Amino acid sequence: MGMFAKEKPETATPGSARSDSDTAFFGAKLSIKGKVTGSGNLIVMGKLEGEVDLAGELVVAPTAVLNGEFRAVTLAVSGNVTGTLIVREKIHLEKSAVVSGRMATPRISMVDGATFNGEIEMKKPADDTPSKRSDKK
Amino acid sequence: MAKDASSGTTSLVSRPVVVEGEISGEENLHVDGRVKGVIRLSGDLFVGASGVVEAEVDARSIVIQGAVTGKVLARRQLEVQPSGRFNGEATAASYEIRQGAVFEGVSRMLGSKPQAEKPAEPADPSPQK
Repeated sequence: MGMFAKEKPETATPGSARSDSDTAFFGAKLSIKGKVTGSGNLIVMGKLEGEVDLAGELVVAPTAVLNGEFRAVTLAVSGNVTGTLIVREKIHLEKSAVVSGRMATPRISMVDGATFNGEIEMKKPADDTPSKRSDKK
Repeated sequence: MAKDASSGTTSLVSRPVVVEGEISGEENLHVDGRVKGVIRLSGDLFVGASGVVEAEVDARSIVIQGAVTGKVLARRQLEVQPSGRFNGEATAASYEIRQGAVFEGVSRMLGSKPQAEKPAEPADPSPQK
């Protein structure tokens, strides 16, 4: 199967970034103040202050500094986060993660060395999302 | 501190993502989604065909394939490609507007003095007859 991987012809479309266009990326030298919403995944390497509401995975890279309220389906933290994290599926804190605040998630994992100060609230997804509204945002 | 963003990374606001607020930094930015607010970059702004920007923009060069509304400053060049639409007030060192592009609004050349600020010669009421 692998040999067909390159079959997709690169047409003259200038938006060649289209293939991975579902993943938004905020670089280390970018600073954002405000609200980020939408679906797809988001990788943050720089500063972000405000609110994120994402129907996808939020990845906080080691260089990132986040402050505010963050909602996502899954969250992976290697950087610095202060505030409220509300996650529908799972949170993972890497060794370099520094988190303070409140986390609400049905599943959590932390690598030895990760720093967390605050409060964790764990609910079974069933408590929070009855099957009827599991598709609702 | 490296101030040159030309070799820097390009951040991406992907198609399903909306940013409301201020984006600033020493990077290039590619917008396929929506941005509302303020964009200040030492690098370039590229607005893809699906991108919608309603913002006050300050960037080095700006390339528009999607739609941009607002007050825009391109320190180097403003380029509106055939699929692009610009509405608003633009200031740039140079312009490239391709056939098919929409450009509605005011354009100023960077460096040229705005007319309004020309030191007004005291209006001489004496009729020059």
